[in-house]
Amino acid sequence: MATEKAPTTVDEFYFWTDKKLIIKPFDVIKVNHIKNSVTFGVIEEISHLTDSASSLAGFISSDFGDTESEVNTERIGMNYVKARVVGNSQNIYTPVLDGYPVSLANEEDIKNALGLSDIKNPLPCGYITMYEEDPITVPVHFNSHFLIGPEGAHLNISGISGLASKTSYAMFLLKAIQDEYARNAKKHDDSVAFVILNVKGRDLLALDEPNKDLKNADKEIYKMLGLGASPFENVKYFYPYAKKADGVTYGKDFDAQRHLNKAFQFKYTYELDKDKIDMLFANVDDASGTMESIVANITSKTSEFASKTNWEDFKDKLNEYKQKGDTGKDKEISVLSWRKFSRHFNRVLEKSTIFHDNLNEKKGEVRLEEAIQKIRRNDVFVIDIAKLDEDMQGFVFGDVVSSIYDLKLGQAGERDEADIPSKVIIFIDELNKYASKDVPKNSPILRGLLEVTERGRSLGIILFSAGATEFKRCKTANT
Amino acid sequence: MNKILDYIAEETGGKTYKSHRFCYDAEVKLPSLAYDESQEFTIRRDRYGETDDTQRTTKNLFEATKLFQKEKPLFTYFLDGSRRIYKVDDIEYSKRLFPVVGGQIGVACCQRNAPDTFGKAILESYLVLSLPSFAVTGQKHSTQFLGRLTKQINETERLKRLKIKFDEIFTYSSDKADKDSKEYLDRGTATIQDKMIECEKKVVAELVKKNLLHQDSYLIKDGSLQYSKTAAGDYRELAVYQSNYRRVVGVSKSFNPEFSTDNRGQSNAARIANLPLYHRTPAAMYIPLEDNKRIGKSRFSIWYVRIREARYSESPFAGVLKLEKVLTTEEEIENGLDSGEVDRITANVINERNPVCYGKDQRWANHLYPIYLTETYIKSKFLSDLHFINLF
Repeated sequence: MATEKAPTTVDEFYFWTDKKLIIKPFDVIKVNHIKNSVTFGVIEEISHLTDSASSLAGFISSDFGDTESEVNTERIGMNYVKARVVGNSQNIYTPVLDGYPVSLANEEDIKNALGLSDIKNPLPCGYITMYEEDPITVPVHFNSHFLIGPEGAHLNISGISGLASKTSYAMFLLKAIQDEYARNAKKHDDSVAFVILNVKGRDLLALDEPNKDLKNADKEIYKMLGLGASPFENVKYFYPYAKKADGVTYGKDFDAQRHLNKAFQFKYTYELDKDKIDMLFANVDDASGTMESIVANITSKTSEFASKTNWEDFKDKLNEYKQKGDTGKDKEISVLSWRKFSRHFNRVLEKSTIFHDNLNEKKGEVRLEEAIQKIRRNDVFVIDIAKLDEDMQGFVFGDVVSSIYDLKLGQAGERDEADIPSKVIIFIDELNKYASKDVPKNSPILRGLLEVTERGRSLGIILFSAGATEFKRCKTANT
Repeated sequence: MNKILDYIAEETGGKTYKSHRFCYDAEVKLPSLAYDESQEFTIRRDRYGETDDTQRTTKNLFEATKLFQKEKPLFTYFLDGSRRIYKVDDIEYSKRLFPVVGGQIGVACCQRNAPDTFGKAILESYLVLSLPSFAVTGQKHSTQFLGRLTKQINETERLKRLKIKFDEIFTYSSDKADKDSKEYLDRGTATIQDKMIECEKKVVAELVKKNLLHQDSYLIKDGSLQYSKTAAGDYRELAVYQSNYRRVVGVSKSFNPEFSTDNRGQSNAARIANLPLYHRTPAAMYIPLEDNKRIGKSRFSIWYVRIREARYSESPFAGVLKLEKVLTTEEEIENGLDSGEVDRITANVINERNPVCYGKDQRWANHLYPIYLTETYIKSKFLSDLHFINLF
């Protein structure tokens, strides 16, 4: 229909349907157009319309408000549908003409209309079911070059919280990528590895366990998409170190996983990780940069801290610095600043068990940095930070990102370039926690994130995230 | 030659003036009005329109409507005719000036099988012209001449390009007009009106032929049934008319209440106006004035019913419908329509009262929705007034 008030345009058109026809938004429809071409549209809005001039006519039609009244003839009505033009078979952009028939599309049409046919580097990303009465299911593929580089990268999944859809979908996508690269390795000249940060619950701590409750119908869908209904492969779990695992994780299978050599505990030793303490101050407002200079002071080789070998000694030394009057050593930093630093640092250290200097590899204890730098193609590393407090979560996340950076920039030892996975996909839930507007601008974690979103694509560091609210800071970057 | 009128003028020996063209119809004016004018009837003691002649007061049908609501509605078909008249031009014959009258005729019958399925059963639409009879003077076979003329104008390039065809050209009497030139226009209108009525009859005949009308499937015709002129034609035509219209009920939205008088010759208008909700009057028998004894009797039963409360409507007659039915058997003609049948028809008409076209049509209180839809459908099929006028 093209009317004075609602003409058809290059972008949209309107049509009527029987009032009882079941269609829904996003269904694809087609219209015959000039030169025997076909214009495809996607339904945007459906409204029901009758010839009733006003609501009052409805009231009068019930014998002036008698709810019991019945009618022999229903009011004449139709559904008025607004559709958005998605394309024309001959690239004709003349608006759809009045009076031409609209019909449902077949599978081929839908693929053409939505641009789903002839996708290069296809990567299964889901399926669309269309039409209520006679459903058509079409598998959907992404061009992987646009998802994990080099053409485009990074993905944020946003939506309503609490439906377990965002994380589940991210897992689906990651699994599809792993499947694709494991099975068709020869087709790809690149390789992938995955680093998943678990920030809540324990769902992500069982990625390699098959789902016994998977229904046959769901298996069929996997089959249609060309995916196996199997769990992730090559999964390794990294739990925060503690004598009793319960205290630091929601997971319950640590011992079993440890037995299979799949689970590890990570620690931060003073000697090797002291330069990371700046990341502990990610959420501390440090406008004057004093915290930063303290960290610089500590990590400098000439400082008194350099000779310390463990966290305990470091703490003792720190205590000296905050003693009043003992400012002769460094006049640039006031005692007050040292105190602030110390207060914050002690707070973190007291609560956390992962700052520990004794590393026992036989017991499966690792430094996260080292572990990550050994990541191989198709590996899935799940790092559990769910039970850590927020500062520590930020700290570990920051460490993970910078470790991957170091790996990709070739600063991580002697690994052969070809051996390093060319793409590392980092997945983190609730990313907004580390990159929302409330995070101070100088937060090292935020800096790392921006770095990843802005330059990660060329390095092969790809960020997948899920968050109810958008990833605000990096929105302008390449998400 | 492109212009239709030039062509007609040349063929008939007239002269066109290219004068002001306009649509002659006032939107609200109804074809049925013209028909009610001659109806005058009396409720006479010996001439009741229904078998129960003891009914003196109005009859409450509220309970009956409840009862019939449980059944399938009696009415399945809805018939309406509409025409639009245009003064297309003035044409001169022998120094006298006549209007050329153009018209669009539409007659539609809609069908309702279930509350949510309402659709077209039959649609007849025509484009016609009416010329003064002067135009055919000197022609031996005027009908053939007009047929040929119709064919020829349809051959003109303009009409062919627009894929529009005229169906017929009529003539109206060129006798001197008594009052003013408007009278010619009215004469022209009458010829077009006659065509519409013919067309309505044809549609009813078609339904009958297909056996679509029967005891549980009636037709409501918008307006009066009193096709007096033709019904009194010849005996055979009357018989066909009577049998075809056995399942047809005429429902008039507007009527002149003054035409109904009681047995003392006084007007029934007040009684109709005071009709309580869902009450009907006793049925009266109507005998057309030009009733031709020789070739047969056409008799009608006529009664009124109120379908909407007077206090909600703007005039005392709003909400009152006039119902009529042709009496088809000897027995009916003698004793009137069976009172049970009158009640059944009335109750079913009352049940058609909702929904209303309030806000869309001034006459909403008297309109029945299926008829309103049929009328809307016909009008949607008309060419726009501007388009029609500019064909000439």
